[in-house]
Amino acid sequence: MGRMKTAAIPGVRDLRLDLFRGLALWFIFIDHVPDNVVSWLTVRNYGFSDATEIFVYISGYTAVIAYSRMMARQGWMRAAARIWRRVWQLYVAHILLFVAFIAQIAWVSTKSDTAALIEEMQLLGLGQDPYRAMLEAALLNFRPTNLDVLPLYIVLLAFFPLLLPVLLRWPRAVLLASLALYAATCHFDWNLTGYPAEKVWFFNPMAWQVVFYTGAVMAVLAPNLGWMDRWRRPVSVAAFLYLCFAAFIALSWHYNSLENLIPDIVARQIYPIDKTNVDILRFLHFLAIAWFVRLAVPADAAFLRWRLLQPLRRCGEHSLQIFCVGTFLALSAQIVDAHFDGSLLSQLVVSFLGIAIMTAFAYAATWFKVKSDLKAG
Amino acid sequence: MKLRSLVLGALMAILLPSVASLADDAKCRASRKMLDLGNPLEVARASVADKKQLRIVAMGSSSTQGYGASNPAFAYPAQLKMNLDRIMPGVDVHVFNKGVGGQDADEEVERMSADVKEHKAQIVVWQVGTNSAIRRTPLDKFAAKLRAGIDIGRKLGPEFVLMNLQYVPAVVALPDEEEYARVMAEVAKEKNVGLFRRFEIMRAWYNDGMPYAQFVTNDGLHLNDFGQKCIGKLLSLSILNAVKPPQLTVEPKPRN
Repeated sequence: MGRMKTAAIPGVRDLRLDLFRGLALWFIFIDHVPDNVVSWLTVRNYGFSDATEIFVYISGYTAVIAYSRMMARQGWMRAAARIWRRVWQLYVAHILLFVAFIAQIAWVSTKSDTAALIEEMQLLGLGQDPYRAMLEAALLNFRPTNLDVLPLYIVLLAFFPLLLPVLLRWPRAVLLASLALYAATCHFDWNLTGYPAEKVWFFNPMAWQVVFYTGAVMAVLAPNLGWMDRWRRPVSVAAFLYLCFAAFIALSWHYNSLENLIPDIVARQIYPIDKTNVDILRFLHFLAIAWFVRLAVPADAAFLRWRLLQPLRRCGEHSLQIFCVGTFLALSAQIVDAHFDGSLLSQLVVSFLGIAIMTAFAYAATWFKVKSDLKAG
Repeated sequence: MKLRSLVLGALMAILLPSVASLADDAKCRASRKMLDLGNPLEVARASVADKKQLRIVAMGSSSTQGYGASNPAFAYPAQLKMNLDRIMPGVDVHVFNKGVGGQDADEEVERMSADVKEHKAQIVVWQVGTNSAIRRTPLDKFAAKLRAGIDIGRKLGPEFVLMNLQYVPAVVALPDEEEYARVMAEVAKEKNVGLFRRFEIMRAWYNDGMPYAQFVTNDGLHLNDFGQKCIGKLLSLSILNAVKPPQLTVEPKPRN
């Protein structure tokens, strides 16, 4: 049964996934540099959702693409083992990133004698009880700022082998269960605990799983989504209106004259737009964007192969490495930017330099992969 | 060629400086009247004078914890310490962050005794009101909890500064957020404790034309880096005013 379903999932690489995941990685980097003027180029300022939704959704989608065929060919055991090996790689990457992150702060603070940075170092939670902090970091309980996306991904993927067979057989049931867990999490305010004790997960896995599994279910159903096109017009109209509404609200944060036009009764319904539990407004906003991307960008669209867009695709192909490089560089960018008092020029330079370095890493990763594939072949 | 443009770029970056941060400094403002806590902080003054020491417990919820700031060092308690270190040279300043996201006056009263005892503070800054307003806690119950918290804490030695609600879309949209701010002012007066008028200070920012994006995160509820840093800075000026250590001649100059 599962075999039949999985046969329908195409074996060709879907370039859209690489391209948009690359784009999400660039956006995450740019948005992680505080007060960055370049972030006007990212989705964040034009609506409720941001690059995190794109990244998590595509992660769910690609997880199905990557592991369902493996399960069909080599059985569940083999696929599960591969997924858990991937989880281990993510974990190793996270720990490496954690160490590099702390080392960067330590290096800068000793080099520049910047008292504020040393204080930041202590405030990251290392100062009072470094041994405990190390233990909690290893357990994923202690996640300094900006190091909280990978732990989310680790948790989501760790449970994925258990759900993969169910997903391939009853995708709609998985979607329903996922939505139910999401609704319950929001309603009962469930979250996992962290370190220090009063901290919770900034990206609550029990809520964010809904984005991941929506992506996964869409990957399973992708060959049979033709029925959606019967509703193309009404859905497009609704999605368009919703995107306009979201853009209006998001721009109102920048222009008080727009803000004053929003009636209290509307504001009371929409705020707060929670990120920890992916507020439903954020999720719908992402879905509206995804709907238009599906209409506008078919998997065989010619522009997906443009050379000009190759840097994006390369970054998307090596998402784990590039995510780590980007997070590390966002901190460097923040430090450089602070050194130049956040001048406009330094914002532009660090943003574009950061993207150039991420891209260089992606090309290097491709080069290594080609070399080792040749050797193996 | 490349090297020259790099050097040129670096030079320009240095010469073009501070546009953002100077602007941020100018934006972080409050009138002198708004920074007045309304009550002197005698215990803190004595401690600063005699022991050159000031210990502050920051009690509260997510604002205190620093949810929404890109770095825990930007949360207002950490900023309060950095600013007090600067404007009270020679004084050993400690600020203990006791913010727990999502908590309400109820839950904070529960842990007041333990948290205050643990740190032997001279000042408790109690950031409260927002979650009570969002959860529609009845006003009389809210007032009773405030009184209870102040009574429990004060028995252990420190003086109180109540920090009222933040002026952000999620709070402004409530039908009666100003009632909660009013109750806090009344309780502060009745109990002779300080009141840090965060709500009024931030409302003045907004009314002066500062957009929400400058000081609020995209969720419409929590303070961002600028908001946190600025509140920390203004609070340090308020506390300095109320402590007025005699040996310090530094006059805070908040802009009007």
